[in-house]
Parts: sequence; structure tokens; C-alpha cells
Amino acid sequence: MQRVLILCLSLLWGALGAAEALAVSPAVQPKVVTAASKHIIEIGLSYRGDEIHFFGVNPMPGADLVIRLTAAKEEDVKLSVKGRVGPFWMTVKQYEVAGAPFIYKIHASKPLDQIISRETAQELELGYVAVRQKMKLHLIRGTAAPDDEEKIFKGLIKIKEEANLYNIVEDPKRLEISEGKLFKHYFRFPPAATEGRYQVETFAFVKGELVGYGKDFIEIKKVGLENWLTQTSQNQPVFFGILAVVIAVGAGLLVGVIFGKGGHH
Amino acid sequence: MEIYLPIAGMSINFFLVLGIGGLVGFLSGLFGVGGGFLLTPLMMMIGIPPAVAAASDSNQIVAAASSGAFAHWRLGNVDFKMGLVILAGGIAGGTIGVQIVAVLRALGNFEFVMKVVYVLMLGLVGGAMFIESLRTIRRSQASGAELAAAPVSESGLTRLFNKLPLRMHFHRSGLHTSAIFPFSIGTIVGIMAAILGVGGGFIMVPAMIYIIGMPTIAAIGTDLFQIVLTSANVTLQQACVNKTVDLLLALILLGGSTIGAQFGAVAGKRLKGEQIRILLAIIVLALTVKLFLDLVITPADLVSLAPAKGGGH
Repeated sequence: MQRVLILCLSLLWGALGAAEALAVSPAVQPKVVTAASKHIIEIGLSYRGDEIHFFGVNPMPGADLVIRLTAAKEEDVKLSVKGRVGPFWMTVKQYEVAGAPFIYKIHASKPLDQIISRETAQELELGYVAVRQKMKLHLIRGTAAPDDEEKIFKGLIKIKEEANLYNIVEDPKRLEISEGKLFKHYFRFPPAATEGRYQVETFAFVKGELVGYGKDFIEIKKVGLENWLTQTSQNQPVFFGILAVVIAVGAGLLVGVIFGKGGHH
Repeated sequence: MEIYLPIAGMSINFFLVLGIGGLVGFLSGLFGVGGGFLLTPLMMMIGIPPAVAAASDSNQIVAAASSGAFAHWRLGNVDFKMGLVILAGGIAGGTIGVQIVAVLRALGNFEFVMKVVYVLMLGLVGGAMFIESLRTIRRSQASGAELAAAPVSESGLTRLFNKLPLRMHFHRSGLHTSAIFPFSIGTIVGIMAAILGVGGGFIMVPAMIYIIGMPTIAAIGTDLFQIVLTSANVTLQQACVNKTVDLLLALILLGGSTIGAQFGAVAGKRLKGEQIRILLAIIVLALTVKLFLDLVITPADLVSLAPAKGGGH
């Protein structure tokens, strides 16, 4: 009896070990060496988004490359779904979505499905299908419908794509690899990309197998007046409110003095 | 030239915001009304989140009304006692209104309620103004002689409110009337100030003149006085509860509206009163139709991001 148990356990152990060996683990792959044109983006008064250029060496000449931009931390978002109430359109239900990336951009040297299998894409979270698998929906208000998941997913992708926070570009022109060795590309950070830490990961594949991996960090932060206004409004709201009123009254009186009689309101 | 609005969390053309401020300032200079009720919907149309638009407008109104209030105070047009009674209502209403905004935002229906209230209010005001000015124009065309302006007679409502308890003497307005009505109208306008980001002068001034029975000039001066403090309260509360006051946005709007108002005042002198009113009525009605269509036409996106708790961005 005991021997059978030991046999079973060792078989199970062996199976687990084999599964682990099969799994693609980016961390143990040869490093893809990259250089970014900068690592910090500053949001100032005239900020309108920014672009960062990346250069790198392909670890295996001729390997296919997939590069992914994500935020270091994930966010839970609340989504409102509008429905008809009488003649009006108003919010009828709300979902909390966990596990959706705040930003998700992919550049690939050719279409993803030609580079990797569906399983690998799933495992490495490459592509919208993989993003969708990771998302968890939780109904907060209203009644659920069978097509809600589809609707929410499509809606979220649309919102994110319109804000230029999500996109997938599968184009060798966008991700140039000269003579199979040196590659260069750029990511555009839209104004909607808020403060925080972002990561750019490079995956190299040969015949669908991961052969190299690299990671860069980018930080976006507000500076100067933008930083001060944001920090103060969020952390010292009472002071900020009083300040806003005092500045407004001061500006109003100043205007009154300059133009003689303000009069309008 | 783009400018990044820290609380709205978006990048927007500086001159577009300045221009909208200027346009509303021009209209308010021309018509002699506050521009809050035009400014908030226009801000929403260029993509400012509704809650940020309303809160920042309140901030802008503090500035715009304070210069007018100061001028009227020097001319002795402010009935402080009446102003304080209305203000007490306004502070209560504003505080309630900000809490209503917080609840509606959490439910995801702030924008909907805001538009419904706007449609009702603008439709009513615009419609009344349109009919009234059309009548005036017809009458003046029919015969100029009959235009002996009828003196404002004491309305039934005025007499009714006179009989209510809590009677007070208002020296500057020369009135001896109940404090209940001024307090109630202050509360209603305070709630509207928070939800819509308006000063409420277009409701308050007629109510003061026709219902309370105050002299016109004292009504305008007192209204401006209470607007400064009611809007200051709303700004402060929005900053604390909803964190949606974008000071930068408010200051650009103020800059635009200040310049616009100067041109508006000049243009106003070249038009007749009823012509001005019918023009304003048409603008208000057009805005009403636009907002109403927003409510009933199938939206392009059925799914939208609900604001994160507490943050305005």
C-alpha cells in the first residue's frame, strides 16, 4: 500500500516537473539588450503625450519579435452600461472589471498568429484574446445578461483604443529589424497615460519558441505646477478648495479694477 | 497650443478653452446674464468630464461674480440682510447638491440627471423668454403708443408670502416680508448650482423682483453678492467631496470670459432689449434641443468608464 502511494506521488511529481519544463518562462531566456531614448516622461503644462524610441539587438538573427507595453500595476475599472428606460438612454447596470491592463500596446514584426501558437500567446498574455481571458467581471448594479461579457469586453477595447491606450500593430515597417539583427521602434504614450511605472517587454521567438526576453521600465510623472495642483487637490482638498476660492475672488477683483466695472456674472 | 489640465487629466487646445470662455463672456456681457448655464454644457461638448466641468465652472463663477458684486456693493445696491437669508439657503442647498453629485456619480447617472435638469430648466427659461420677447416685438410693431410700461404690480404670490411667518424688515429693499421664501429659493438655487455648475441668477433675479418684490437694482446687486458666497461654498465642497475642481481650467475660462464680456457689453448697446432677449432665447432653445437629443438618440458607445471613486480623473 505504502509503495503504491509513493509510486503515485513520484509519478505526479514527475508529471508536474514535465509541465514546468514545457512552460515558457521569460525570466530564464537569454536577455534581449535594448536601449530607450529616455526612461522618464514628464507631464508639464504643455504636455500632449510623448514618444519613446527603443533600439535593441535581436538575440538570434532572424528571430521574430513581439514587444509589449503595459503599466506596472493593473487597475480595477468600473464600467457603466447604458440601456433604454422609456424614451431615454441611461446607465442601467455597472460592472467592476478586474485584471484589465490600464495600457496595452503590442508591436510585432508580423501577425501574432504567424509567430506563436494560441497556447503560447495565452501563457505570455500576448494579444487581446489573452487579455480577455484574464479579465474578471463582477456585476455591481442591475441585472446581468448573457451577452454582457462580450459587450463589456468590446466596449472596453473601444474606449481604450480611442484614448490610444490599447493597440496592436503587426507591421514590419513599424518594428524594423535591419538584417535580422538590430531592431528599432517607438511607443507613443498618449496624454491619457497617467502617472506611474510602465514596462516595455521584448519577446524573441524562433519557430514559435521563446528564445529571448528583455524588459525596460519607463516612468511617467507630473512635474512643476501640474504635479503641485494634482497632489494638493488629492491630498489636501480643504486647502485646495480654499485656495481655489481665494484665487478666484482675487482674480475677479483684479479684473474689476482693470476694466473699471466688471458687472457681468 | 496644447495645455494639460491636471484634474480633468487631459490635454486640450488652450485657445479652444479661452475661446469658449470668450464666447460665453461675450454673451453674458451682451445679455447681462451669468454664463454658467451655457458654459457647463459647452465644456462637456469639448470632452471635459461633466463633474469636472460643473465644479470648475463654479470656481470660475466665484471670480466672475466677485468683480460685479464689489462694484454693486460700492454703489450701495446690496441688501445684506436679504442676501444673508438667501445665502443661508444657498449654503444648505449647495452642500446637499454636492452630496447628490457624489451619489449620482457613484451610480453612473450624474451626466443623465444633469442633462435632464438642464433640458427642463433651459427649455422653460428659453421658451418663456422667447414668447415674452416675441410678444413685445409684435406689440411695438402694432403701435408704439400703447407701450406705456405697466408698473410692476404686487402679484398674488407676493401677497401670499407676505402672510407667512418669520417676517423680517429688509431696510435696503424697503420690504417687510417673510424670510421663508428667500431661504427656500436660496436652497433650490444652491442645489442647482452644485449639479449644473451655474450661478442661478436667471432664476434668482426674476424671483427677487416679481415674487419677493425687491427693486431691480437691489435684486441684481444682492444676487451677485450671494452668488459669490454660494459658488465659493460649492467650489470648496466639490474640492473636498468630489475632488473635481480644475483650477487651471477655471482660470483660462475666466481669462476668456473677462475679455469677451467687454466686447459683449459694447455690442449690447447697439441692440434693442427685446432683440437681445429673443437672440438669447434662440441660443438657449438650441442648446436645449441638443441636450434633449443626447438623452434620446441611441448613444454611439453603450459602455462607458465610470469615474473612479473620489478622483476626478
